[in-house]
Amino acid sequence: MRRTAILILALGLGCLWAAEAPAVAPEAQQKVVTAASKNLIEIGLSYHGDRIYFFGVNPVPGADVVVKLTAEKEEAIKLSVKGRVGPFWMTVKQYEVTGAPFIYKIHTSKPLDQIVSPETAQELELGYVAVRQKMKLHLIRGDAAPDDADKVFKGLVKIKEQANLYNIVEDPKRLEVAEGQLFKHYFRFPAAATEGRYLVESYCFKDGQLVGYGKDVIQMQKVGLEHWLTQTSQNQPVFFGILAVVIAMGAGLLVGVIFRKGGHH
Amino acid sequence: MEIYLPIAGMSINFFLVIGIGGLVGFLSGLFGVGGGFLLTPLMMMIGIPPAVAAASDSNQIVAAASSGAFAHWRLGNVDFKMGLVILAGGITGGTIGVQLVKVLRAVGNFEFVMKVVYVLMLGLVGGAMFIESLRTIRRSKSSGGAAAATAGEPKLARLFTKMPLKMHFHRSGLHTSAIFPFSIGTLVGVMAALLGVGGGFIMVPAMIYIIGMPTIAAIGTDLFQIVLTSANVTLQQAFVNKTVDLLLALLLLGGSTIGAQFGAMAGKRLKGEQIRILLAIIVLALTVKIFLDLVITPSDLVSLAPAKGGGH
Repeated sequence: MRRTAILILALGLGCLWAAEAPAVAPEAQQKVVTAASKNLIEIGLSYHGDRIYFFGVNPVPGADVVVKLTAEKEEAIKLSVKGRVGPFWMTVKQYEVTGAPFIYKIHTSKPLDQIVSPETAQELELGYVAVRQKMKLHLIRGDAAPDDADKVFKGLVKIKEQANLYNIVEDPKRLEVAEGQLFKHYFRFPAAATEGRYLVESYCFKDGQLVGYGKDVIQMQKVGLEHWLTQTSQNQPVFFGILAVVIAMGAGLLVGVIFRKGGHH
Repeated sequence: MEIYLPIAGMSINFFLVIGIGGLVGFLSGLFGVGGGFLLTPLMMMIGIPPAVAAASDSNQIVAAASSGAFAHWRLGNVDFKMGLVILAGGITGGTIGVQLVKVLRAVGNFEFVMKVVYVLMLGLVGGAMFIESLRTIRRSKSSGGAAAATAGEPKLARLFTKMPLKMHFHRSGLHTSAIFPFSIGTLVGVMAALLGVGGGFIMVPAMIYIIGMPTIAAIGTDLFQIVLTSANVTLQQAFVNKTVDLLLALLLLGGSTIGAQFGAMAGKRLKGEQIRILLAIIVLALTVKIFLDLVITPSDLVSLAPAKGGGH
């Protein structure tokens, strides 16, 4: 069983390799040994985001470190663009954006453009420019204008940054590399980050060359009441709907009875 | 204190949600409006996705309205017969309205059309109500009160007493054609679907000024029919869109059911015209806000479009 799984995995990786044939192959690099303070985030009633600490050992002392947090899932987002029509502001066009990561955070030990060449950054999807290259815009409604791509991308990044789902921090204080070897930092998972698998990838560069790569997977899942409510609403909608109405009516009448007993009338 | 909402997929301050629920519940008990026209925008303002906000609001309105309807029923303010006739119209109108929304969506800019209709509707209703109740208050002051309490039977209502399908509405003290409340229900049903709200803020003035019901009976009866319509919407949302966040609804109704009781009590202490002028002020304030939304340059020209199938 396990052997088959490994075989399939290896074949899968092989296919990926053949299909993409990247010039910079992160998996082929020396492994960066990393550790996370935890690999499972449980979303319970009081969940309001979480913070996970990461530690890693630089395989080549003094190399620059770039750490990227992304979600496994990508999402299709619809964005409205407003424009002026007479005295009114109204939606004049809509774009569907695909290929944009749900979450995208990068920590670096110094400015990204001083660490890698634009080509390598593009290859490894590091930085907003790379995100933008991968993203596809689809006009659903309205007339396209030349500066739309720019406008929509900036708008999307702003929305994501406000939700703390995107950010890029190029600061040695944020990503400390002790003695050029041991690096430590934390990622804040905002409350908007929901169930799914998240990837934390650590890249080490020496003179612009990738010299080490490490990967951590963080799993996020709902537990207890949160899990039950989500499952029931999605899988047994009829039961859930009736339950919601019955509970609401019951609560309303209950409060009515309590207030009558209070003797206000 | 933060609490995580499973369907909305976000965490939110516990007391903020309870507080908003309480405020809207109070207004709901006082005016007999479902509060949807206030609650949905307020929820969206604190970051709840529009589709989840609308669906969960319907759910909590079931609770707030049944609490309010129960209170009014005890005070003898519910005209069940009238309520059922209006409800029949409301369901017809709602079905037509949903189809209309579909067509408008396909054409594009549904949101803009919705806002313009909002401004016109609310401006008209709010303005008319404001002027009328101000006049009533002035009149009752000059003539020493009691005499002016009944504003006189509206002309339209008199016309409708001459139409066929006459019914006797005991509680409202009306003997009028059933066609009339039915068509009002239909019209409001269309509006409600179009604007994505319960429609109480149109229904109550319509019952008072067009059908000619006493203010307090209009409020009680409206609450009664809101319980049934919002229960229907909650079920539809749960079945089709799966966007009812029960936890959010429970928090909201915790605040709103209690608020609604206080609202109903406050309503007993205020005169009909005082209630009407308050409602008029709120409606007018909302009108101004939506109008400004339409003309002021938005801070972000690019925004997330509502998810498919969301809202109403």
